[in-house]
Amino acid sequence: MAEIVIDGIPYSFEGKPKLLDFILSKNKDVPFFCYHPSMSAPANCRMCMVKVGQYVKNRETGDYELDDQGERRIRWFPKLQTSCNMDMMDDMIVHTHETDDLVKRAHKDTLEMILINHPLDCPICDQAGECPLQIQTYKYGPEGSRFEVKKQHKPKHVQLGPRVTLDAERCINCTRCTRFTDEISQSHQLTITRRGDKNHPTTAPGTVFDDPYSMNTIDLCPVGALTSTDFRFKARVWEMNQTPGLDITNGKGVNVDLWTRDNVVLRITPRHNPHVNEYWMTDKGRDAIHLYNEQRLSTPAIRLHPNDSSLVMTSWDNAYQTTQEIVESTDTKQILVLGSPYASVEENGAWMQFSESILKQSPSYTTHIEKESGDDFLLVDDQAPNTYGCELLGLKKRTKAAFKKAVAEAKVILSLHDDYIERGWLSEEEIKGKTWIYFGTNHTQMAKAATLTIPITCAVEHTASYVNVDQRIQRTYPAKETKYTNRRLDLEMSEGRLDRFGTKFDHWVNEDHKVDCKPLWEIVGDLSLLWGHTLSYRHGRDVLDALASNIPALEGVTYQAMDDQRGILLTSSETQEASS
Amino acid sequence: MSQKSSDNGASLSQNGTSAYTFTKEQLAEIEVLKTKYPEVQAVTLPVLWMAQDTFGHVDPEVQRLVAYTLDLPESHVHGVAEFYTQYFKTPKGKHVLDVCTCLSCHLCGGMDTLGYLENKLGIKAGETTPDGEFTLQEAECLGACGYAPMMQITNDVYVNHLTPEKVDQVLDQLASGDTPDFESIPMPLVSTTSNNEAAGGSDE
Repeated sequence: MAEIVIDGIPYSFEGKPKLLDFILSKNKDVPFFCYHPSMSAPANCRMCMVKVGQYVKNRETGDYELDDQGERRIRWFPKLQTSCNMDMMDDMIVHTHETDDLVKRAHKDTLEMILINHPLDCPICDQAGECPLQIQTYKYGPEGSRFEVKKQHKPKHVQLGPRVTLDAERCINCTRCTRFTDEISQSHQLTITRRGDKNHPTTAPGTVFDDPYSMNTIDLCPVGALTSTDFRFKARVWEMNQTPGLDITNGKGVNVDLWTRDNVVLRITPRHNPHVNEYWMTDKGRDAIHLYNEQRLSTPAIRLHPNDSSLVMTSWDNAYQTTQEIVESTDTKQILVLGSPYASVEENGAWMQFSESILKQSPSYTTHIEKESGDDFLLVDDQAPNTYGCELLGLKKRTKAAFKKAVAEAKVILSLHDDYIERGWLSEEEIKGKTWIYFGTNHTQMAKAATLTIPITCAVEHTASYVNVDQRIQRTYPAKETKYTNRRLDLEMSEGRLDRFGTKFDHWVNEDHKVDCKPLWEIVGDLSLLWGHTLSYRHGRDVLDALASNIPALEGVTYQAMDDQRGILLTSSETQEASS
Repeated sequence: MSQKSSDNGASLSQNGTSAYTFTKEQLAEIEVLKTKYPEVQAVTLPVLWMAQDTFGHVDPEVQRLVAYTLDLPESHVHGVAEFYTQYFKTPKGKHVLDVCTCLSCHLCGGMDTLGYLENKLGIKAGETTPDGEFTLQEAECLGACGYAPMMQITNDVYVNHLTPEKVDQVLDQLASGDTPDFESIPMPLVSTTSNNEAAGGSDE
């Protein structure tokens, strides 16, 4: 076992870790900009300087040489070293800025150099508040600058691609973005152009930065140079809540952070999970903000007459009773119940129980797989987030032909989430004359064609779990309030500055951002009461506990365990290898 | 990523129909160059030179040709071409005059030389004469501080100790189709004996 002394404290280590990685893993701080744990370390920001030396050993005897005081003699490296690309060796002595004034001075001078051409307009910069340059300048920077002449001006608001806007002046040329396109997404679309004080990242002339992972460079950018075309100047970071969640736009189950303000999801950024997505996510996953905020079904709606062109709002009680009337007046053989891979394990589970106890049948589902749309990174063919969850619960899978046949034979259809019309599986003609009760989140074409729509909570409004394509079960947290939830009472919800100190009469609060919808397990609980059953679930946890005690694969699966292990792999690794 | 590389390939073949092409001989030469370096990326520099010698410049269209020929990302070739001032990213005149205005030359009259050339050619630094003969550029240090003020002719020969007369002479020479000869200027050396004595003295 090799040993290293950092700031006078000895640590033992194995292998050849990089020094910066190791120091950070010991909860010590070393400032850096260009280093990123999953990319190469070019050491071009020169910020992570440390003083490194080695104990001098007598070559013949192998003993440590001692100085006059009897201390081991240290041979310091001639200059300060960048710790990000420094391999650790046995008998190394490291002084960080905590114990060495020279290192402190180096940080100061490096920052003064970086800031020479960096605009000092943090108050109007989009990155302020989450800016490594701002934070590190505050912690390690000089009090002022000796640079008193005009700064170099570079192009501003350059549209690099459809989703990324560059402000070249703010760029400190850390090359994280170009390394991302070279090493991670491998589209090689970005490069650093010009030289000296005029350099900045750009695409080759005549090409656009349309990489399907392009927006990761925005998160990587340690300054406000690369910004999201969609999100820039929309909100300050300190006004938003950050809630962990999942990307539900495909089956990969990418871990994300949802940034909300006044119950609107303003942006989605990736959350580190080494088992699923590392630090990255797709651009498509970030577009889900529109799914969560816009075109939401709010308050049940009903088509009063089959020939009416639109649905009218109705009360929850009326919606429930209409459902009961429709179901009771129909032979159960003519009722079709459809689960959905777009809905969570809990929703499908509660749906299945409701269907089996009251409608005397098991729901079926259809998969939504678009061949060739995946790559071997984060895009997958499976467009739905919970296909394996449906399989796990034992829902019957129907092919397109079987599904169309079942719909044609049924008179009353209760369906969840899926938009069969948009997918091209059903036409509006085929639905005509049928009583379709749609439990969904958005004003999809399905909702427009339905007889009765009942709004349910979406992935950012409830706690529920999803099983991804690798059969890892992960869960979401509520990030947006509905009309029936309250941040202050629900301890799972985060509370931002505006939520904590504002009132609902403040001008920045809009009650309309809260959607009038309920979790599906509550709805089926209320519905089953009408038949005298009691399926009382108040929380996703109740459903999951009930499922875990019934389904062997879910044994021991709890929210706590999912949180602790960053999702639980439901199959052992051997069976997974066999299936792949 | 399989999907991406195929996308890339499609766009490259599109660029294959560029206004510029390498001849068969040049392509063979590029193949030889490739064997000299461990990675293809390194061949970017000599191939850009070859392109500049052939077409007179490496504008985006030429950069695309180089990227296509070497099967490298366009952005890489663009970044390399933009980094070096010796690669001409826009078409230039027949002769490119790089007048050094960095510190040593500046102190010895580099700006005067530049001003003289601007007046004489009737263009500003960075411009090309209407007849396409001369492009005048301001250059950073070219490493000839001992012979200041100086200029470089089309990435090639240095002309040193510039005076208005010498500039006139050089321009005439260039206009008549000649290039100035390389001048060997010996550096003034301190006498070796006195140097030895001084060194010996301090040692004792």
